[in-house]
Amino acid sequence: MGVTRERFDQGLTYEQWKAQMTRNRERHDANETGLPLSEADLEPFKSLPKKVNVLMLAEDWCGDVIANTPIVGRIASEVDTLNLKVFLRDQNEDLMNQFLKDGKYKSIPAVVFFDDDFNELGRWIERPESVTKLREEKRQALYRDNPEFGSPSDPPDKLPEDARIKLTQAIAQMREETKPFADKEVVRELGEIAKGIAAKG
Amino acid sequence: MAKKPVKVTITYCAECGYEPQTLELTNVLMRTFAHDLSSIELIPWYQGSFDVSIGGELVHSMYRDGGFPEHQTVVDAVRAQLAQAE
Repeated sequence: MGVTRERFDQGLTYEQWKAQMTRNRERHDANETGLPLSEADLEPFKSLPKKVNVLMLAEDWCGDVIANTPIVGRIASEVDTLNLKVFLRDQNEDLMNQFLKDGKYKSIPAVVFFDDDFNELGRWIERPESVTKLREEKRQALYRDNPEFGSPSDPPDKLPEDARIKLTQAIAQMREETKPFADKEVVRELGEIAKGIAAKG
Repeated sequence: MAKKPVKVTITYCAECGYEPQTLELTNVLMRTFAHDLSSIELIPWYQGSFDVSIGGELVHSMYRDGGFPEHQTVVDAVRAQLAQAE
């Protein structure tokens, strides 16, 4: 099926994406402005030999979108080699179904890179595996260090409400503490894709 | 003899956009069972969860069973619990 220029041009600009958000805008914008980006981080994108079209599928209720979409938006705004268009996942199933995670999950954000003829050059979906792994290790440690949280495999409704609230707060804090690592990993992985595109010329 | 009401708990991933499915199921349960439910508890959670427990018994887990439950499956499970509690 593929993506055509005409279809790609129907996407929202990054500014239009932000303007239509109905929730999480504050957190989204804080993630964008608070992201430390060095010249070295931007170099792989600045070194792209030609302008690359970037299609991003997103929805404003998704935690991974709120964390990672601003990273893509920030990078695109700081280089002149990325032409970014954003599509809402639930209104663009024809696109989402082409870029499913593991061929079956409608995971977002899905970020897909195309050349000028809309040949796919690379894709990045949801979050880095290293981030999932680190957070799972830390989640397991939370349960290990706090016996009142029960077992990680227990449904949370089994917990007394005060323990559940404490666990919710602990998970939120763990996510906040791992955010700098997560952001760096996203920038690194996107940079690796850009380097791969540049290497192919 | 009056039925002993049962409690239904829906644990849903609050960062996955599962609110519509949670509210649809809640609506069906409210309209079907009214006072036969002692309460319907909604727990905003993480990690792609959508779990339904009835009287403390897990009858659907997205992680275990995959996807969202059919409404009728949950309704039948509530009826079975109510029958047991009679």
